[in-house]
Amino acid sequence: MMWKEKYKIGVELIDQQHEELFRRVSDFIGTVRSENPWDTKLSKIKETLEFMNDYVITHFRDEEEYQAKINYPGLEKHKKIHDDFKAEVVEFVRLFEETGFDEDLVQRFSGKLLAWLINHVAGIDQKIGEFARKQEVPHHES
Amino acid sequence: MKAEYVNSFYQAAQDVFKIMLDVGTQKDDVFTHEITDDGANITIKLKGDLTGTIVFSFPKETALEMVKIMSGMEMDKLDSFILSALSEIVNIICGNAATHLQKYNKSVDITPPEVVEKPSTEADKCELLPLKTDIGAVKLNIQLEENQE
Ligand SMILES: [Fe+2]
Repeated sequence: MMWKEKYKIGVELIDQQHEELFRRVSDFIGTVRSENPWDTKLSKIKETLEFMNDYVITHFRDEEEYQAKINYPGLEKHKKIHDDFKAEVVEFVRLFEETGFDEDLVQRFSGKLLAWLINHVAGIDQKIGEFARKQEVPHHES
Repeated sequence: MKAEYVNSFYQAAQDVFKIMLDVGTQKDDVFTHEITDDGANITIKLKGDLTGTIVFSFPKETALEMVKIMSGMEMDKLDSFILSALSEIVNIICGNAATHLQKYNKSVDITPPEVVEKPSTEADKCELLPLKTDIGAVKLNIQLEENQE
């Protein structure tokens, strides 16, 4: 996955976290996609999954706090998107444990994660930045 | 079927390909056709004010290129990883299309995307929306009916 300058929303904390999130998800997907036999890379997969997962939780929390701070009108809707995604991850992790990290299941999870994250950061999160910028503009009318 | 319904899907696909892949999209004329399949076929169903089925057909080369752009990794076959990434793209496009449909006072829910070997819809004919993107063709088979109130 490639981090792009245009993904930045102009809020330093969020931009740094998004970049770090891209790094961690890339690491995880890189491990999942590597050529090595599945059982030899399982411990690395579990490790990178956990490393990524922790960061997702932290980042969602911080991003929601920031939205609350600027009175972002889309907060509730955005929070629901985060919560739904977290719930999906929890369900996948439960299935991973139940199936002993079935390869096909982990591959499907990784593909979804890839597309979900890009759309979320490059699309949905951009609206937070747009709103924040509008708030900063002093209005001369009144 | 009303042109604005088909257009809602076109608009959504165009935006999503631009935002997620930096890929431009144009459309060819829409025509009524028997359902087509090609490479990876992903189906989503609509329920609510409009009911029906949308089938996205991605030729193999387009599918591999899309996932290569997102992941930065070489892709060589249509495996679970790729099909799942494409399913999520379809999910995002149809979710955004549902938002566009609200402008025409149509409220719809979408079902989770499903990868199918041989796509089918309720009717044997559907509207075919052929898209030409910078990285190859994508076909949208759209079959929708308005529910009478
Ligand atoms: Fe977010």
